[in-house]
Amino acid sequence: MARLDLVVCLSVDLIKLAIPSSLKYRDLVLRVVAAAAKLVGQKPGRPSRVDREFDDQVISAVGEAFNNAVLHSYRGRVAGDIEIEIETAAESIAVRLIDSGDAFDWTEVPEPNLDDLPESGLGVFIMRSFMDQVTYRAGDRNVLSMRKNYVQPTVTESASRPS
Amino acid sequence: MKVTRQDSEAETVLRIEGSLDALSTVDLRPVMDQLFTDKRRQVTLDLSALRLIDSSGVGAIVSLYKRLRQDGGTLKLQGLRDQPMAIFKLLRLDRVFSL
Repeated sequence: MARLDLVVCLSVDLIKLAIPSSLKYRDLVLRVVAAAAKLVGQKPGRPSRVDREFDDQVISAVGEAFNNAVLHSYRGRVAGDIEIEIETAAESIAVRLIDSGDAFDWTEVPEPNLDDLPESGLGVFIMRSFMDQVTYRAGDRNVLSMRKNYVQPTVTESASRPS
Repeated sequence: MKVTRQDSEAETVLRIEGSLDALSTVDLRPVMDQLFTDKRRQVTLDLSALRLIDSSGVGAIVSLYKRLRQDGGTLKLQGLRDQPMAIFKLLRLDRVFSL
C-alpha cells in the first residue's frame, strides 16, 4: 500500500522583550523587530535576502504601535513596561504589544482623508495598511496583535529569461 | 536625528539624517520655525540620509509644506528612499511632492 508521508513544518520562534514605556527605547525596539523580520522568508543555506519592503512595512507598523502604547497607555499615571512578543515563522511574522495601562480604542480612530493632507491621526492607518491582520483586545492587559505574511518578490519575465 | 541647514541666495537646504520620529520631531520644530523668522520661503529637504520616519515626522514635514505654501513659498524634497519612501507613497504624498 502506498504511504504518504506528510511533513508540515510549523516551527515558530518566540522572542520576548519588556521595554519601559518611553520613546527613548523606540529605536531599540525597532532594531530588534528589523532583525527578526529579516529572518522571515529566508531560505536555509542561502544568503540573506536583499528585498526590504517586508521589513520596512513591519518596522513602520510596529513603530506606530509603540508610539501609541507609550503616548496613550500610561498617560497621567506611573509608566509601566510594554511587553513585546515577536513570533517569527518561515513565511510570516506576528508582533504583540502588551501594556497594563489605559485601553486605547483605536477602532474609534477615523480613517484619514489623505486629500486633506492630515498632519496627525495617521498611525493606525499605517498599521492597518502595512500589516495583513491587526486586532486589539482591551483588558487588564491590553493586547495589540499584528501579523504579516511574507510573499516572495515576483521575478520579472525578462529577469528570469536565460540570456 | 541630525539636521543641518545651508542657506544660499536662492534657497535653504535642510539635511535631515537618521530617524525622524515621535521623539526627534520635537527637535526639528524650532529649526522649522526659524525658517519663518528668517523669511526663508524656498526650502529643500535633503532626505538622502533619512533612515526612518514615522507619522509624527511626516506630520512635521506636511505642516512645513502648508505653512510655506500659505506664505507663498515652496517646499521640495530630495533623496527620499527605502522606508521613508514607502511611507510617503502609502500616504499618497507623491501627489504633493515630486519624489
